[in-house]
Amino acid sequence: MAIERATAGFATGLRAADVTPGTVQVVEVDGRSLCIGLTEDGEWGAIDNVCTHDGGVLGEGELDDNAVECPRHGGRFDLFSGRVLALPPVRPVNAHVARVEGGELVVEL
Amino acid sequence: MALQNPALSQIPDSYKYGWHDSEQPLPVFKKGLNAEIVAEISRIKGEPKWMTDRRLKAYRHFEARPMPTWGGDLGQIDFQDIYYYVTGTSKAVQSWDDVPDYIRRTYDKLGIPEAEKKYLAGVGGQYDSEVVYHNIQEELEKQGVIFLGTDQALQEYPELFREYFGTIIPANDNKLAALNTAVWSGGSFIYVPKGVHVELPLQAYFRINTENMGQFERTLIIADEGSSVHYVEGCTAPTYSTASLHSAVVEIVVKKGARVRYTTIQNWSANVYNLVTKRSTVEEDGVMEWVDCNLGSRLTMKYPSIYLMGERAHGEVLSIAFAGSDQHQDAGGKIIHAAPNTTSLITSKSISQGTGRTSYRGLIKVYPGCTRSKSTVRCDALILSDEARSDTYPYMEIDEEDVTIGHEATVSKVGSEQLFYLMSRGMNENEAAAMIVNGFIEPIVKELPMEYAVEMNRLIQLSMEGAVG
Amino acid sequence: MTSGPITVRPDAISLDAATITGISDAHDEPQWLRSLRRSWWERAEATPWPTGQEEEWRRTSLEQLPRNLELLTEAPAVGCALDDDLRAAGVIFADLHSAVREHGDLLQHYLGTVDTIASHAKFWALAHAAWTAGIFLYVPAGVDIDRTLFARSAQLRANVAFFPLMLVVAEAGSRVTLMDEHLSPDGEAGWFGGIVDVRAAEGAWVRYANLQRLGDATWNLGAQRVDVGKDANVTTLNAEIGSAVTKVGLDARMTGNGGVSRLLGLLAAGDDQHIDMNSVQDLFGSHTTSDLLYLSALYDRAKASFYGLLRVQPEAKATSSYQECRNLLLSPEAGAEPIPALEILTNDILRCGHGATAGAIDPVQMFYAQSRGLEADQAERMIVRGFFEQVVAQIDSEEIKERVLEALAARIGSADVADGEEAA
Repeated sequence: MAIERATAGFATGLRAADVTPGTVQVVEVDGRSLCIGLTEDGEWGAIDNVCTHDGGVLGEGELDDNAVECPRHGGRFDLFSGRVLALPPVRPVNAHVARVEGGELVVEL
Repeated sequence: MALQNPALSQIPDSYKYGWHDSEQPLPVFKKGLNAEIVAEISRIKGEPKWMTDRRLKAYRHFEARPMPTWGGDLGQIDFQDIYYYVTGTSKAVQSWDDVPDYIRRTYDKLGIPEAEKKYLAGVGGQYDSEVVYHNIQEELEKQGVIFLGTDQALQEYPELFREYFGTIIPANDNKLAALNTAVWSGGSFIYVPKGVHVELPLQAYFRINTENMGQFERTLIIADEGSSVHYVEGCTAPTYSTASLHSAVVEIVVKKGARVRYTTIQNWSANVYNLVTKRSTVEEDGVMEWVDCNLGSRLTMKYPSIYLMGERAHGEVLSIAFAGSDQHQDAGGKIIHAAPNTTSLITSKSISQGTGRTSYRGLIKVYPGCTRSKSTVRCDALILSDEARSDTYPYMEIDEEDVTIGHEATVSKVGSEQLFYLMSRGMNENEAAAMIVNGFIEPIVKELPMEYAVEMNRLIQLSMEGAVG
Repeated sequence: MTSGPITVRPDAISLDAATITGISDAHDEPQWLRSLRRSWWERAEATPWPTGQEEEWRRTSLEQLPRNLELLTEAPAVGCALDDDLRAAGVIFADLHSAVREHGDLLQHYLGTVDTIASHAKFWALAHAAWTAGIFLYVPAGVDIDRTLFARSAQLRANVAFFPLMLVVAEAGSRVTLMDEHLSPDGEAGWFGGIVDVRAAEGAWVRYANLQRLGDATWNLGAQRVDVGKDANVTTLNAEIGSAVTKVGLDARMTGNGGVSRLLGLLAAGDDQHIDMNSVQDLFGSHTTSDLLYLSALYDRAKASFYGLLRVQPEAKATSSYQECRNLLLSPEAGAEPIPALEILTNDILRCGHGATAGAIDPVQMFYAQSRGLEADQAERMIVRGFFEQVVAQIDSEEIKERVLEALAARIGSADVADGEEAA
């Protein structure tokens, strides 16, 4: 994902050390609600927080490898690309680049 | 809902799943469900850890989810009063004498051969199917087709299994899907390789470890690009089951240019709650057809769904529902248009008689951007008696302008002129009514494999006795 | 397009028992009316707001209902003029306050004596408790009114809630046509909760047209109830043109044998309008006929939802009924959710069915129109006008037809071709 982006990274206020691997959570950045996840392998991902199926809150769901599972009906999205991995959602969610800078999580929208 | 048959308290002696650890003593199963029982089911089957975890997680979802408040009346179901894992629950009927009278009489009238009768009633051993099954298997192996019981497929093709299991119907999709994911057992697994056309309809009937009357079957069918297959399950004869709750899940993946038809004919005994989740995805140029005939059961809630994901994908649901006295068929279909140029058709024919109730419940959803899509829904209902009831609830969510979506429904009774005309040709009233009803469902019956079509017609005739007037 | 659960909005309007008493005091109302208002107020309080879980409320959220509204207590302009000959024949067509004073006994017999469908029960109760203006139209038995009567209410202030009550009683064998128009200015937040109660007695012939031209920030949460008695013949037309959000409940009951009802609707919506209609056609009488036809033309980002229930009760024999909802989507972001539902509890029916469609103009139709020399937007206007003709053709009164078409033109444009060429 080494694409040149004109957008700057937004600080999330989330300390990387505070996050348990294998979990997701909700973070507000620049007026947008995001679902941030840290895989067991230590990789960070960020996707839009609203499930495209029925508005479920993805950040309140679960992370299974790199699949974010929506708590409402079990739909799944890839944490890094936002692609749909399991129905019932049919449209992907927007994905963003997340990285750690100085111990803090930064997201490029 | 207490299970009457004392035979169930016996330890089943004909377990067919092939235990991995045969030195373990056979467990005694109690009624009810909890995490330990779920874990035990997985352990007995010798499943990989990821499946055990999925089951347990699904169980947690099941507990947390409330029951649906729409559809039929689910208030009587007591989840703790059910056995969740008894092999051949339906085979617990140890003798022909235990089979209810009305079932035996129907078999006689339908002219079902002796051996088959016993099989359908869950008594006795395999009916001829073993030999036939082996012959079919040889043919399929040559083509590279996999056709196994789901339990076996998990053991023999774990990667393929894991790639698709739960991606069409995730555990948390609805309460019954969660239950099934936790306690599933039996069902069919089919994989058809690219370009392979399976000419012979594959039938659940012929699977060697058939749980034809399995409570919590889990079926997974994957049709790879350009392939085609027709799968048939169930039978028209009343299927006696002492288990009162049947909750199956069927997931189907139709890849580019592939074609799948799934035909179901179910006629559960009048004590059964039949709550099924069936869904398929269809990629570009693929075709999915659900042919769904629901007879019998106390309450059926079933809405075969099709997600049209790729351009020019096509989906059809052909549904027949027949509700006799004290029965409620709440069925229909859901089609989601998620790509341009997709087309769909739902044809539903329902018949209610006595105090029966049929409800058509369907959804056509068109996402924005799915231009040039077309969908037609046609629901016709026939109400045969004054006390019967028919409902139609067609939902439509159309968020794209450049489409053509239409729905039409009619509700009617058997016309007295029609009856008079037929009777003047020498039929009695029941025969005439049966002919009219058979004509009513003919567009769908003609899509069934021949022997089912014939049995269906005979069954209608039987049910019509005394039905008119 | 479906919305999730909504939160209760008790703060939308500050209304309490004292306000209700205040209305009665301001108009020096008689005891019977004070008690009536009070008992409806209690009913309103006891009836919960819709939660969004109910089938009828899943598609419209009350989340954005304007807050802190005041009840409009001074009667706005409610026009209703009655010719002398009709007055002499015993027809009453007066604003409700006058009717209370001058025809109290008669009014008391009918006002607030019935309830409506559950989905709109709260709004029905609120209006019966807190109406501050309205109309009483009473047609004595056998009287045939050969001209169209007009009523018009205009809500002229901002930030108000207004619940005008229209009560129409057509006695046996009478004949009446009424056009009811509602206006409010654009840009002013408000809640219009007008209700209409129509009683058609044996053999009565009633035509009721409601032309809704509320302003673009007004919320229209109303209810209409029609009782069709033995052999009565009632047609209602709802033309929805204005409002930010419309959520109307239509309750049509075929209570007597042999009654006939036609429920017609024309919706022309654009911008961000959200129009949601709930109807119930409840057939109790035998040999009754009830046909519903709702047509909508949707532009810009407008959304139309329709949840209609056609129910044939077990005791209703030999009925004919139909429900049809057709939506023309004229822009990529317009959306429609037509859901005509049937609950048929008897098999003794002559005819029963429903249909729903949604989609764009058939490209073949467009091509044909354009090949006759019309520009694309002209062709579209003509086709939309032709689409609406199925309902327009069923409007008996020429005056109503003209008024409705004129109001619709604001959204759909005028067909702009010679009259003779318009599709019938």
